[in-house]
Amino acid sequence: MVETIYTDLLCLGAGLAGERVAIEAAGAGFDVICLSIVHSKRSHSSAAQGGMQAALGNSVMGEGDSPDIHFQDTVKGSDWGCDQEVARIFVDTAPIVMRELAYWGVPWNRVVGGKGSYYKGGQKFEKVEDAAKEGLITSRNFGGTAKWRTCYTSDGTGHAVLYTMDNRATQMGVKVHDRIEAIAMIHDGETCQGVVARCLRTGKLRVYLAKATLVATGGYGRIYKNTTNAVICEGGGQSIALDTGLVPLGNMEAIQFHPTGIVPTDILVTEGCRGDGGTLLDKNEDRFMPQYEPEKAELASRDVVSRRMIEHIRKGFGVKNSYGDDNLWLDIRHLGEAHIRTKLREVDEICQNFLGIDPLHQLIPVRPTHHYSMGGVRTNKDGAAYGLKGLFAAGEAACWDLHGFNRLGGNSLAETVVAGKIIGGKVVEYLKGASATFNTAIVDGFIKKEQARISALIHGSGKENVFELRTMMQDALMAGVGIFRNEKDLEKAVRTIQEVQERAKNIGLKSNGLGANPELGLALKLPGMVRLAQCVAYGALQRRESRGCHAREDYPARNDRDWLTRTLATWDEGADLPTLNYEAATPTFELPPGERGYGGGKIISADESEA
Amino acid sequence: MWNDTTMYVQSPAKTSAVLDWLEVLSGAGLVLFILGHSLFVASVLFGAATFDGLAGFFESTGLAQVGGPLIGSVFLLHFILAARKIPFRTEQQKTLWAHARLMRHEDTWLWLVQAITGMLILFMGSIHMWIILNDLPITATKSVALAHSGLWLWFYLVFLFCVAMHVASGIYRAGVKWGYIRRDNRAKAKKALYILAGALVFLDLVSLIRFYFLSV
Amino acid sequence: MDRMLTIHVFRYNPQDPDSTPHMQSYYIDETESMTLFIVLNRIREEQDPSLQFDFCCRAGICGQCAMVINGRPNLACKTKTKDLPSQITLLPLPFFKLIGDLSVDTGTWFREMNTRVESWIHTQKEFDPAAEEERMDNDTAEKIYELDRCVECGCCLAACGTARMREDFLGAAALNRIARFVLDPRDQRQEKDFFEIIGNDQGIFGCMGLLGCEDVCPKNLPLQDQLGYLRRKMGIYALKNLRSTKKTC
Ligand SMILES: Cc1cc2nc3c(=O)[nH]c(=O)nc-3n(C[C@H](O)[C@H](O)[C@H](O)COP(=O)(O)OP(=O)(O)OC[C@H]3O[C@@H](n4cnc5c(N)ncnc54)[C@H](O)[C@@H]3O)c2cc1C
Ligand code: HEM
Ligand code: HEM
Ligand code: SF4
Ligand code: F3S
Ligand code: FES
Repeated sequence: MVETIYTDLLCLGAGLAGERVAIEAAGAGFDVICLSIVHSKRSHSSAAQGGMQAALGNSVMGEGDSPDIHFQDTVKGSDWGCDQEVARIFVDTAPIVMRELAYWGVPWNRVVGGKGSYYKGGQKFEKVEDAAKEGLITSRNFGGTAKWRTCYTSDGTGHAVLYTMDNRATQMGVKVHDRIEAIAMIHDGETCQGVVARCLRTGKLRVYLAKATLVATGGYGRIYKNTTNAVICEGGGQSIALDTGLVPLGNMEAIQFHPTGIVPTDILVTEGCRGDGGTLLDKNEDRFMPQYEPEKAELASRDVVSRRMIEHIRKGFGVKNSYGDDNLWLDIRHLGEAHIRTKLREVDEICQNFLGIDPLHQLIPVRPTHHYSMGGVRTNKDGAAYGLKGLFAAGEAACWDLHGFNRLGGNSLAETVVAGKIIGGKVVEYLKGASATFNTAIVDGFIKKEQARISALIHGSGKENVFELRTMMQDALMAGVGIFRNEKDLEKAVRTIQEVQERAKNIGLKSNGLGANPELGLALKLPGMVRLAQCVAYGALQRRESRGCHAREDYPARNDRDWLTRTLATWDEGADLPTLNYEAATPTFELPPGERGYGGGKIISADESEA
Repeated sequence: MWNDTTMYVQSPAKTSAVLDWLEVLSGAGLVLFILGHSLFVASVLFGAATFDGLAGFFESTGLAQVGGPLIGSVFLLHFILAARKIPFRTEQQKTLWAHARLMRHEDTWLWLVQAITGMLILFMGSIHMWIILNDLPITATKSVALAHSGLWLWFYLVFLFCVAMHVASGIYRAGVKWGYIRRDNRAKAKKALYILAGALVFLDLVSLIRFYFLSV
Repeated sequence: MDRMLTIHVFRYNPQDPDSTPHMQSYYIDETESMTLFIVLNRIREEQDPSLQFDFCCRAGICGQCAMVINGRPNLACKTKTKDLPSQITLLPLPFFKLIGDLSVDTGTWFREMNTRVESWIHTQKEFDPAAEEERMDNDTAEKIYELDRCVECGCCLAACGTARMREDFLGAAALNRIARFVLDPRDQRQEKDFFEIIGNDQGIFGCMGLLGCEDVCPKNLPLQDQLGYLRRKMGIYALKNLRSTKKTC
């Protein structure tokens, strides 16, 4: 028999978002279980280095900061693609959340009063920190922001915050079931009732039934070949939500490329490097960003910097490397030993461990690489998913929609905790009114379906190699849905992914599939990943404008007249393409569409009539 | 593994702490004794008369008669305390051996050396003290006789080596455990440890050789 | 760069009745900047899809991939093949429960450990959302972070002879965690409270100073210094409070 576990709230994911919601519910006396593929403290939130944004305004370079300025930066950063109501809630709550984290134990770096120096664009400047602010949470500079606003602990912010959060969750009695992977969502067409999950210790199936279910499974970067994301970022939560046929995913084509992934492993070195004064150099070791972005230079938003880097490489200024492509250099040498070995020590370690170089004396080879998914399970501002009752989503897995078409560095780690707090509150409200009746026939149906899939994979006659198919999908996205996009390449990607989808029906295992077999694990996941990939590619093909990270060479203008919208993708059973619908990007405009102040580009305004 | 079981009740008793103090104090006491002891034995280098004179002094003041059994009991106490850490179950021993071999880690080996020399010292030291203390007074003549009876010579050769290693690694270990040897001075301390062990072996050897060639 | 590597891997799948523990060898050509992450994934994709091992961040940050590499516990993802001989032996981390092949269950142990040492700030204060945060000296914050950098990989336990002999030993990771909270002014726990957790043979007095932990910790945490500091602190506390024992017992 399949083991069945009941709970009030089931969080898919034990990263920052999942655990923050869990803490809220546990605090209100509800029974909470978080599922996670890995030990909760290894969730990918732990890899975030740079920091999280909140308008505390304690440091001298952040003086005068306010939620209003944070709001403007966020909306501009999103290229007006975000939900402005959500952005407003977010910026207002972020400072409180940072303080709450301090209270729970995060060792934030603090203001040190008196004279100090900092670097910008390779040059040294003086600053004097206000002695009256000594000991308050300090901040560093990040791209696309008007003020220094990013709170940090060295460059291990995600690690420090996740450890604090996980410990807090333990204290509150949140149960974490790790090495458990959700593989199907149970629902009756109206309400979500939990999931079927596979135990990654034994390979056995399990059922979790819950009054409310939260998708907080993080990003899905691994549908791309080159990504900064962890190997577990495969979009398990988003794809099982999509599989219901009822829950739409928002803005899946909005994919962020980060300017500084190292070559060849695509491990991230934080934006903090540039925030703290690092510069980008080309093959002549010349600084080139000011030439494209006189105002912001290296600290324009990520979409802009990544595009400029590719532009510069295309002009022949890239450094040929032995892996067959071009890279550029990140230079942090001038920041000095003390700074690099303390405030950028993870970067230092990564350079030593993976590149065998010392960033104090050598240049870091970087290239833009896949980094973040703005899209995800579409929710309203309360975090409730469209399409099913009792289903919520938070964190990177969700499209709450704070980020629109480009998220600012430091806004997503902050989002996980802010959204977690707010949505946690809403989940509690929901749980207070919810009663649970589970229909065993429906549950059994879902179990049988999964058992049948497993048995077909183990005993069936399929011949396709799951690893090859994955590579084919990843390559198709890299080639067709990268930083610059156009109709021809996108169409090709869509067709290739359709082919992968077809072939994925005939996967056959080479191994016996017993226990926590990794081949079986991937084979169960791959079809879902392929559908996500198709939502990305097809959504990008249909969006005929350029906005934020979505840069169409054949439609270079931002088109507020026709495309100030959010894509909603659903998947009907048996279909080979998603169904796309569109909704208005934001219900209200606190900040009407305008110029971002960086990135250039034409804008077709909403008032312009059809040409 | 303890995570399979439920949490056990914590006892706020100070027993472990006290025993740990006694372990290091008894060890330190023994180290001091041995250093003094080696110097005393080395007095033979200045001739049988010096040696006998010192021995006579110890006896006339009663230091040997009282001190001997006292050292004997510290010796026993130290053994009992240290034995808490020594694996007596074969299964544990096997694990530890396999572990040390796999890791090829100096300080882990050093602990094994310490535990094994400790066991040998327990055995040999008891015999040694029994022989000496049951045949007071101590005189150079008797010592020379011992050095000449083949078996005893070998006994002492092994014994002095064990003692030197145990003393040196004991000091190092106590320093590490109580935070006096830290990351920054560890390499230096390790070097000092080997020098100390060497010096002790050298001193004891020289005394022994002197006994061997001493004509009384 | 044209070495042929021989990778000897421990194989055993407890869920497969036909499986017995044994070593299996794989051959793979070395490439530039190759890490064990690349090696193992290539073996899985090209030679043996049943091979179990754990990676997550593949950047030396999450602590998921600890295993015994040529005798020493370390993070596999940040281990470069060019630093190893051409014969590479990989074993699962000992001390933890084996899941299969190179995969072990560190999560359960660490979750239990965190519960046992109550790895959170203990305070009577209430959080006030309207108030400014409590101030902290930046140096203190940096010192706390230094100890907070542990990634719960388990290498220190696998490398500790004491832990290998006595499975109830808390190990360097837990003791370091306590040291982190001892340092934190926000935690109102007193010496007495910490002593209750680690003032015993499962805790600080069980450590024999083997320093395996110190020498393998992939994050280079100052474990030796913390262990020494805690032993002194707890030892002195015990001496000062010898008489109160009876009362609390
Ligand atoms: C290298 C890197 C650096 C970054 N740096 C920054 C930064 O400096 N600042 C910033 O703001 N943002 C940063 N980000 C982004 C930010 O870290 C993430 O967006 C955020 O941490 C996501 O948190 P989360 O809680 O949504 O998901 P995660 O922390 O990724 O957690 C996902 C959880 O879901 C679980 N899970 C996944 N699938 C399943 C399934 N099928 N069943 C059960 N459980 C499942 C996982 O085990 C995990 O517990 C960075 C991202 C990366 C990749
Ligand atoms: C109080 C008790 C002790 C007395 C009176 C004593 C006395 C002596 C004497 C007289 C000798 C000279 C050789 C001989 O006559 O055989 C000697 C040698 C030696 N003793 Fe002891 N001893 C005592 C305890 C110990 C203990 C506890 C140890 C170590 C654990 C020890 C280790 C040695 C060693 C290694 C030698 C030989 C090396 C050398 O020549 O210096 N003795 N001891
Ligand atoms: C009876 C025989 C002996 C045995 C079995 C023995 C065994 C041990 C062992 C196993 C340890 C390690 C304890 C640990 O790691 O926690 C130890 C420590 C030590 N021993 Fe001995 N030993 C003996 C005699 C001696 C003698 C004669 C001396 C002095 C010369 C000595 C000095 C020390 C010292 C200084 C330490 C370190 C103290 C500590 O770690 O707390 N031992 N001994
Ligand atoms: S202390 Fe070091 S070795 Fe031990 S778990 Fe933490 S990071 Fe790993
Ligand atoms: S290896 Fe073990 S014995 Fe102590 S010094 Fe480290 S915990
Ligand atoms: S995979 Fe994260 S540390 Fe190796």
